[in-house]
Amino acid sequence: MNSLPLWHRLFVAAVVIFLAAPVLIIVGVAFTSAEFVTFPPRGFSLRWFEKVLTDAQFMVPLWNSFLLGVASTATSIVLAVPAAITLVRNQVPMKDAVLAFMLSPLSLPTIILATSLLFFLARFGLGTSPVGLLIGHVIITVPYVLRTLLGVYAGIGPETEEAARTLGAGRWRTFWHVTLPMIRPGLLAGGILAFLLSFDEVAVALLLSTTDTTTLPVSLLSYLVYNYDPAVAAISTVQIVIVVVLLLILERCFGVNHLVLPSK
Amino acid sequence: MTTQDIQALSPAVPTSKGVLSRLSPLYGLLPLVAFLLFFFVGPLLLNLAESLGMTQAGIDFAQYRRIFADIYYLRVIAETIILGVAVTVICAIIGYPLAYAIARSSGLQKSLLIFAIVIPLLVNVVVRSFGWMVLLSGKGALNWVLSSFGLPTLSLMYHWGGVTIALVHVMLPFMVLSLASTLETLDPRLEEAAAVLGASRFATFRRIVLPLSLEGLMTGSILVFTLCVGSFVTVMLLGSTSTMVLPLLIYQQLNIASDWPFAAAMGMVLLTIVMSVLWLQARLRRTKWRAS
Repeated sequence: MNSLPLWHRLFVAAVVIFLAAPVLIIVGVAFTSAEFVTFPPRGFSLRWFEKVLTDAQFMVPLWNSFLLGVASTATSIVLAVPAAITLVRNQVPMKDAVLAFMLSPLSLPTIILATSLLFFLARFGLGTSPVGLLIGHVIITVPYVLRTLLGVYAGIGPETEEAARTLGAGRWRTFWHVTLPMIRPGLLAGGILAFLLSFDEVAVALLLSTTDTTTLPVSLLSYLVYNYDPAVAAISTVQIVIVVVLLLILERCFGVNHLVLPSK
Repeated sequence: MTTQDIQALSPAVPTSKGVLSRLSPLYGLLPLVAFLLFFFVGPLLLNLAESLGMTQAGIDFAQYRRIFADIYYLRVIAETIILGVAVTVICAIIGYPLAYAIARSSGLQKSLLIFAIVIPLLVNVVVRSFGWMVLLSGKGALNWVLSSFGLPTLSLMYHWGGVTIALVHVMLPFMVLSLASTLETLDPRLEEAAAVLGASRFATFRRIVLPLSLEGLMTGSILVFTLCVGSFVTVMLLGSTSTMVLPLLIYQQLNIASDWPFAAAMGMVLLTIVMSVLWLQARLRRTKWRAS
């Protein structure tokens, strides 16, 4: 980077500022003591944090989002682990096609997924049930978990598992004591990714949730349509802190560089 | 060698076990395949049926005629595509220098640059759009800066301008990450060789770096375009009635007008746009593979 010409380095700095600006401005506005979003922010107080952290209007959706994220992550892992092991270790006919099918929800606009699922679930009387919400989120998160697991598991040779089998361990024992510990980095990275995606998802939650099951992004969206006060900035700051903490855990355990860029 | 000889040489196939047992190692695929067939393919087929009025009686194309006979809906489709193309092009131009810098840096600097990209990516779209509302609104941060320098203020919110800026912000990380993963694999010695042989920086870029990173540019562009034509939160918050896009229209038809068949048909139009772009990508990749 230091070898790059000055204009290039200045340009990179400008783009980084552009990327950071809306995030930083929200954190700034959250600490205002004024009644409205004004610029520049006036005064310093924690009153808006106090408001949102004691207001059920925000805390119930935050809890819902958390539960939905955990449930989607767990379901995705249960579905993706056997699929990933089978794809790597067995001769799967038409492997590329099977994998393309399993990853295909990635390229579908979520609004289409949301409307189709609403039509479908409404026929079973599950139109806006928590189960429908979970199904919608799992469809979105499971391809990411599968892809992360495949990346980790494909790099591990079958020797250790074969040794365990030769020494008399059964199929399940081998899985539990050998395979699972070996794919733990993939499970952790895929799991956190799935949680973050579910935690951030809007389209499915907007169409399939009710006032009782509404998630944080959806409640923020409907709040913003009618209000424009620093409360949204405060709850957004809480959300940003949660995301950054998870990202730092991910970095420590796995290395974000390896997750987003191919390792050399 | 006779048939008997071959049979004698090949290991005995247990004939008592049928096709099922030979497929048994594939049981692991079953839960995920069944889940996706039932809850992903099923709903999409139902969506298609709904758009063709098949849930009542027979097939009719009334919903599609409604879309393609109305200049308003045609304009929404056209503007959705134009917005997608514009955001993709801007992301490519802004993202390329940043991706190159990431690929050519190392250590702490690289980690910081990646963090600068990944953090906004993980901050909710609603929150980011709200950030742009604070920045771009009439009495927002941008106009405060402009007026304190004695410059005329801008009204970007509720216009395509503000929507485009915010969408570029949302999509930029995807473009940069796609480009950076290709540029990572590019050997810096190729550029050094070009420089030693007297090529200018621009010539090296145009004749060496750009052609070798086309793959990443294409992946990033397709990703940004497909995500962009499908996103509606940013348009919902920063736009107005004059900035309508297809996904937002689908949402409104469903939620406000409760016109399910029409929403389903527009969903199919959006799906067709996305699928044609993905088909184009697959075709380009095949042609390139044949050429090499």
